Amino acid sequence: MGGVTKPRGPGWLGKSNLTPALRLALITLVVCGIAFPLLVTAVAQTLFPYQADGELVKLDGRAVGSNLLAQQFTRPIFFQPRNNSASGVDPDITLENALSQAERVSNATGIPLAQLDRLVYENVQGRFLIFGSPYVNVLKLNLLLIQSYPEIYGKYG
Amino acid sequence: MDLSEAFELFLILGSVLISARLLAPYVAGVYTNSRSRLERVFAPLEKLIFRALGVDALRVMGWKEYFLSAVIANAFAMALAFVILMFQNFFPLDPQGFHGLSLGLAFQTVVSFGTNTNLQHYNGESSLSYLSQMGAIQFLQFSSAATGICFGVAMVRGFITGSKGLGNFYSDFVRTITRILLPFSLLSSVALVWLGVPQTISGYASVIGIEGIRQTIPVGPVASLVSIMQIGTNGGGYYGANSAYPLQNPNPATDVLELYLMMLLPTCLIFAFGRLLGKKREARPLLISAYSLYALNLLVAFLAPLPSAQAPGIEVRFGGFLSTFWTVTTTSTMTGSVNASLYAMNPLAILSAFMGMFVQAAPGGVGSGLAYMLMYVLITVFVVGLMSGRTPEYLGLKIGARDLKLLMLAFLIHPLIILVPTILAYVSGAAAAVNAGSGPLGLTAIMYEFASAASNNGSDFLGAAANTQFFNLSTAFVMLIGRYAPLGLLMALSGSMIGRKRFFTTGLDTASFAFSGVLVLSVLVLVVLTFLPFLALGPILSYLRGMVNGFG
Repeated sequence: MGGVTKPRGPGWLGKSNLTPALRLALITLVVCGIAFPLLVTAVAQTLFPYQADGELVKLDGRAVGSNLLAQQFTRPIFFQPRNNSASGVDPDITLENALSQAERVSNATGIPLAQLDRLVYENVQGRFLIFGSPYVNVLKLNLLLIQSYPEIYGKYG
Repeated sequence: MDLSEAFELFLILGSVLISARLLAPYVAGVYTNSRSRLERVFAPLEKLIFRALGVDALRVMGWKEYFLSAVIANAFAMALAFVILMFQNFFPLDPQGFHGLSLGLAFQTVVSFGTNTNLQHYNGESSLSYLSQMGAIQFLQFSSAATGICFGVAMVRGFITGSKGLGNFYSDFVRTITRILLPFSLLSSVALVWLGVPQTISGYASVIGIEGIRQTIPVGPVASLVSIMQIGTNGGGYYGANSAYPLQNPNPATDVLELYLMMLLPTCLIFAFGRLLGKKREARPLLISAYSLYALNLLVAFLAPLPSAQAPGIEVRFGGFLSTFWTVTTTSTMTGSVNASLYAMNPLAILSAFMGMFVQAAPGGVGSGLAYMLMYVLITVFVVGLMSGRTPEYLGLKIGARDLKLLMLAFLIHPLIILVPTILAYVSGAAAAVNAGSGPLGLTAIMYEFASAASNNGSDFLGAAANTQFFNLSTAFVMLIGRYAPLGLLMALSGSMIGRKRFFTTGLDTASFAFSGVLVLSVLVLVVLTFLPFLALGPILSYLRGMVNGFG
């Protein structure tokens, strides 16, 4: 082991090893565990407050949910999220699922099926460049229903 | 997988390879004390830290001192995080008023994050305060990733011509944090927020939904955690459902970014290896075999039909392709985050996941993957030497009997700490207690838990269900041994290379394509022979029985 300096202090578990190791842990805690996430929070809240707060969606100025979290809809006049998925709160449904639900919504509300289908198609998202396949965000779609058909959904608006 | 999906796959991996290659000179420079363009930012900060530590950052250490310093620093880090988790209700930043964790769970959690495993027996959104998510979880994610990279770099230093030692642990650790992990995490955190991941320290949002039902939106300092968990191949998520949870991974764009981030540093470190060595060609066999083994894992996983976007356990926004791609990548890199339920995966994808965690170097976790790949290189050099009747040597260094003992021990610890606890879980009734089931799926879930713990991966079937005394304690010990024992042995091996005589004979060309091929084969033979009987009773039997996933 030519050239290697012998560690200072007596033995491997001497004070010369313990003190800097403890200080290193403390400094890392303060820098990486406290200062870093707070710095990111400050930057995020300044640049992208809407995303940083969880993409809360508003109806008449009142937050009614988040784009990123499934909301339970029980009434047949609304599109409904699926109830089994990996996260349990999948906010999206497939295009086919949305189109198949359109028939029920149409029957329950009297809105012509063709209009609902168009609404669904206009709300397809999920493509990032070439990645991902089309899907529909249930909360966004229902909010659009409320806003487009106030005579039917009046009491929810 | 159709043609456009294959194109997506090549596009993502191509970007990883190109950017890893471009970043390699910078990353290698961090460990040769090269000046960076941001020297004026880094240097004063580091000087301040070294002064506070009271260490001479230029003093070279032997393997024992280097390794022990790392272990002691890790132990202190885990102890600090343990205090935060146990007493989180007495600290600030607990807007939801969560209680402290139980002793067993807190112990398992700090070991899990301190060893870069991130096996989670809790659901973050319903049990951890913001301070715990930051000061315990993110802190240990930085600390363990930096430690892993230090181990990898220190092991390489043993093989560098004229090396006086394995480097200075404190210097390597601090510079890894200041020059690699913090800047990379800052950039990717901001990108993640821009794409939709929350970052706040205000409490959970509470809203009245459209139909009048109250809904809680669990937000928090999520993006800063997700970035380091992917960059540092940690994998432990903010939420119990990890990157399947829409607030942690809101859309295909964040998914692709998170995929990219987990491959970036393990790949970059292979390129950096060649530069540190001063022999760029020598990175070739490591890169070829890491990516061949990873490609093989992908191939096996994609042989089976992909789950549909509507399938249970799959998130609609990712569908079968991105979910399967992620499952293979997260286990080939020892990250362990998931974007779909493992139960939703075809048995062949689970087989790939096992292979990734058994090999641990395709390309493996940050630093540790590099160390394990070097281990395979040395074993292969020895095998080739035996077959050709030559004295085995790597880079002109003779590989002797003591070296081989260390190598075999480092390799054999891994199967031992996976298979023995798996059997113990069944014998003791602990497997039955978590309703693992007795069929191939049950064996898969239990063996996966220990494979994940031993390889410091962190993905699992059981999740919070494994918050039992048996699984908390057994996985904690497996994680500790799996992290420190093999890497300690490899550091001892590398340390013994210092000052060893080099022979410059025209021996085996380890940078050749032929050697790369032999390397891949020898890794496969070693791993498959060791684990085949258990794989046959788990995922392979599930596949032969015609199961399409863990749900049936």
